[in-house]
Amino acid sequence: MHTSPIIELGGIKFDLSTILMLIVTSVIVFVIAKLATRKLSVENPGKLQNFMEWTVEFVQNLISSTMDWKKGKHFLSLGLTFIMFIFVGNLLGLPFGIVTGVHDPEHAHVFGKEIVSVTEEFAKHPDVEEVELAWWKSPTADASVTMGLAFIVFFLSHFLGMTRNTKSYFKHYFQPYWFFFPINVIEQFAKLLTQGMRLFGNIFAGEVLISVLLKLTALGVGGYIASALGLIVWQGFSIFVGAIQAFVFTILTMVYISQMIESHDEHEH
Amino acid sequence: MGVWAFLAAAIAVGLGALGAGIGNGLIVSKTVEGIARQPEAKSTLQTTMFIGVGLVEALPIIGVVLAFLFYAGA
Repeated sequence: MHTSPIIELGGIKFDLSTILMLIVTSVIVFVIAKLATRKLSVENPGKLQNFMEWTVEFVQNLISSTMDWKKGKHFLSLGLTFIMFIFVGNLLGLPFGIVTGVHDPEHAHVFGKEIVSVTEEFAKHPDVEEVELAWWKSPTADASVTMGLAFIVFFLSHFLGMTRNTKSYFKHYFQPYWFFFPINVIEQFAKLLTQGMRLFGNIFAGEVLISVLLKLTALGVGGYIASALGLIVWQGFSIFVGAIQAFVFTILTMVYISQMIESHDEHEH
Repeated sequence: MGVWAFLAAAIAVGLGALGAGIGNGLIVSKTVEGIARQPEAKSTLQTTMFIGVGLVEALPIIGVVLAFLFYAGA
């Protein structure tokens, strides 16, 4: 496993590779969205415009499968942002990697800041020759990014529940009986945790398996063949997993929001 | 923690995968049954199936992440 470049600013640790990849993902998503909407035309839509229309319709269907379209149309841009950002982010780590080696702790500096993860690694294993820093990975392979996304959904759904659906929002904590209150509270935090950790775990485990497959090359010619075959299969599967996870994250966002803004009385049978 | 950490990682991954495998199998088999009975409901069933599979996948994946933590802590 490669080390990630972590620097410390004001006592808080920042993972530079995650920040770099967040910027790269945002730029790619922005450019795709900008290019797709540049020459809008009804008679003669371009390929990218067709693709974007398909994506928007996909998210529209996804929202209307969970809630009333009248209530749900406000969340179209949110869902579109989530699905594009997560999908692009999931795929970014697959095609290649950028790894730099650091041979001694004195050179482990970036922007005049010490890379603490490297110095720690040298302090732990003094005999190690080189620490490898991975700069290119999926931003969603970092728990803080995915938990941040999950927190957005958590705050948004609870805020909407409190403001738009106040009575049944507070009532649902005591459903079906008042002593279910602790379980209902735990459920909310379990939703938050699983939504973030599901995305993180899937992408992170995928990246770890890729690095394990790359290590097979140390076994010689047979290792190279096995590594190449495994990588072909696993990278193909990772595209599928990345798409499914982006889809699941977006639909769960809509499900959680709809649970909060729709009063429960009309749904209980 | 030594060798126990490896054992803990193996148990976390193995049992998590076992449970999720059974769960996913049930989901997919019921979906296939549903599609066979009502082929016109295919798209709805598939969407629901993927949501279900995504929900089930969360737990073994969390198990895998825990296993990595044990592995790194060994």
